[in-house]
Amino acid sequence: MSKGVQIAMGAGLVLLLLGWYGSTQLEDATFVYYQTLGEFRANGSPGEAARVHGYVAEGSIERDVAAQTVRFLVQETPPHAGGTAQGAMPVVYTSLEVPDLFKDGAEVVVEGRLQSDRSFEATNLLAKCPSKFEGATEGEMAEAMPPAGRPTSL
Amino acid sequence: MSDLGFYTLRLALLVSATGVVAGIVGGALRREDWTRVAERTVAVSFVFTSIAIGALFWAFATLDFQLSYVANHAARSMDLAYRIAALWGGQAGSLLLWLWMVTAYAWLAMRSHRESRSLMPWVAAVLQANAVFFLIMLNFVSNPFDKLAPAQVLSDGQGLNPLLQHPVMMIHPVMLYIGLTGFVVPYAFALAAMLSGEMGTAWLRATRRWTLFAWFFLSVGILLGGRWAYEVLGWGGYWAWDPVENASFMPWLAATAYLHSVMVQEKRDMLKIWNLVLVGLTYVLCLFGTMLTRSGLVRSVHAFAQTEIFGVLFATYVGLTAVIFFGVLLWRRPLLVGTSRLESVVSRESGFIMNNWIFMAILGVVFCGTLFPKITEWFGKEILVGPAYFNAVNAPLALLLLLLTGVGPLIAWRRATPTNLRRQFILPTTFGLVTAVVLALVFRFDIGFFPLATWSLSAFVVGTIGQEYTRAMRARMRRGESALTALTTLLRKNQRRYGGYVVHLGMVFIFVGIAGAAFNEERLENLVPGDAVAMNGYRLEYRTAVPIPHQHYGGATARIALYEQDRPLATMTPEKRMYWLEQQPASIPSVYSTLREDLYVILTAIETDGSATLKIYRNPLVNWIWIGGWTFVVGTLVIMWPHPEPRRASRT
Repeated sequence: MSKGVQIAMGAGLVLLLLGWYGSTQLEDATFVYYQTLGEFRANGSPGEAARVHGYVAEGSIERDVAAQTVRFLVQETPPHAGGTAQGAMPVVYTSLEVPDLFKDGAEVVVEGRLQSDRSFEATNLLAKCPSKFEGATEGEMAEAMPPAGRPTSL
Repeated sequence: MSDLGFYTLRLALLVSATGVVAGIVGGALRREDWTRVAERTVAVSFVFTSIAIGALFWAFATLDFQLSYVANHAARSMDLAYRIAALWGGQAGSLLLWLWMVTAYAWLAMRSHRESRSLMPWVAAVLQANAVFFLIMLNFVSNPFDKLAPAQVLSDGQGLNPLLQHPVMMIHPVMLYIGLTGFVVPYAFALAAMLSGEMGTAWLRATRRWTLFAWFFLSVGILLGGRWAYEVLGWGGYWAWDPVENASFMPWLAATAYLHSVMVQEKRDMLKIWNLVLVGLTYVLCLFGTMLTRSGLVRSVHAFAQTEIFGVLFATYVGLTAVIFFGVLLWRRPLLVGTSRLESVVSRESGFIMNNWIFMAILGVVFCGTLFPKITEWFGKEILVGPAYFNAVNAPLALLLLLLTGVGPLIAWRRATPTNLRRQFILPTTFGLVTAVVLALVFRFDIGFFPLATWSLSAFVVGTIGQEYTRAMRARMRRGESALTALTTLLRKNQRRYGGYVVHLGMVFIFVGIAGAAFNEERLENLVPGDAVAMNGYRLEYRTAVPIPHQHYGGATARIALYEQDRPLATMTPEKRMYWLEQQPASIPSVYSTLREDLYVILTAIETDGSATLKIYRNPLVNWIWIGGWTFVVGTLVIMWPHPEPRRASRT
């Protein structure tokens, strides 16, 4: 057996072991379905980890400083495109720390679990600005390089 | 002025296309006259793109709101510096910056390698072909000189994303681009060598040098990106495995692997094909990553509203770049047989090979994680992959890499003997083990595996580097040199080796800093003025909030007195800004930074009752990442420092 093959086998074995180790380290929340609110309504079940995409209903944001939560409604169609809060999903975000871009009408992704009372408890919140840059003449936002806001990819 | 930019871009397209044709004819028919033409077009293209980018800078400086690109990315109230930086704040401008850099690199490459006559026509053709792609994009898809209809021209622009209005943002993208575009030169030389069949040492030297240069800037760009994220984005971290970050990290991994394995080819004439694969892979990954994030193929925290045509064209370009390179490689395989074989598993060569395996494994992990959502979407359901995946899988790989950083340089080439191993490893290994024991005792055995392993291995690597330096310096000092002379001659005589150690030392510091994240703490506090909160020996007292007087944004600054026990340390001033024009808030953290740890405070909100909601992070050892960065810069400069005398002479 040539030296090259020996090294390849050794390296392959080490990598396999590492891969196996890595896969045991993954928390179950690492791989999560990404769904729009409509898809989530159809498929989501209470208790299952989920990431849901939608828009913040106008005037629905309430900060509860004492309980350290932020409550708001998420609707499927953006308010500036005529969407209304009818049938919106209530979200309880379990922190007071909201992204800078989080506001009425903002495009959001909430990560967490559906509760038995059909409200959604979010542990992570990502927001994208309903920017006037977007859909402006050239449809460009200052996309230059890095992520705007929060640690996870949206 | 803007018309000048518009027309020079048109002309540049003609010139560069001519260059491609002339280069191919000159190379294929070995015609010197056509080759000359190809070389000259490179200089002309560079002049034209320089005029074009100058015109766009001028348009931003003078706020020419006729141009829709300027109107969309600048505003009167912005400082001149940020108006200039707004040039690369959007698609068309960053394409122009990219193009300009490609032509600048092409011009530099032409100037510095004129003597390689058989390579030059092909190098010129490949470089100009890359310029042609960007020129087509700029002329016909995304032109920064497009004008608004007269009725649409307003007296003020829309301004720039506030997150980008930060000093680091003025240099980070530029550094990153100098890095990413720079890999076009090694790509061109490798392809030219294969096409011309001229597989001597000229192309290898050119490829290695230019890769090192581009890699240096890419590394600095990545580090600055982390710094920017830390100082601006306000989530207490510097790296989040966002597709945009991964896009710059993947070519970095390939290039780093190449810079190591190329040494095996230089010393032992092995791994020829593999090295070419790495050169091609690096450049293709640069383009692929750019396409990934710019075309909106993968969901990133970016609003990319792209035209279909942009994605299609870019994908075609990336595809062609890859197919041509690897096709030619397949065709030229017979020319690429190495002269020697691996003699022993315990040797420097095999250390380098393992190093390459690990870099490729990390690259694979990052690649799969980044594309996983796309792949699963094709199978029906889009599944996102969080940072936990990247961290969990990469951590053990990174530890192995750290171990090799220490082991590799100490093992002999060809075949290591037991004496060699004993002589080299006893001291550093002892040093590493002692560190492990001391750490375990200091932490009373309450330290996770990863921090313990990282810091002990770091000590081991520092031990190996220290040993290398002291041995070499002692040998010189025995001959009567002073310590300082010994050190400088060492760095000058063998800059690659001893500069390389400094780079390794920088990487060790970065590892040390990253491992500190295992001990991060964070809390969310709601405080009324006068309240204080204690955290790990610190006391933070919220005093008051004051309004921010600034033309471009308003908001509040929280004033927080920081004490260690009762000793006042600093006043921390996290800000919550509102950018009026852009209608976008931003949180600017305040950081109290020491070598031991950072205290990082974000003003989340001033509540309606006047209390402040603060997010407080304690991030141990973060500073070592930036220190590592500076060390890395010094090391790479040592390696790249021009040093003409001894080697040049021996080559001819």
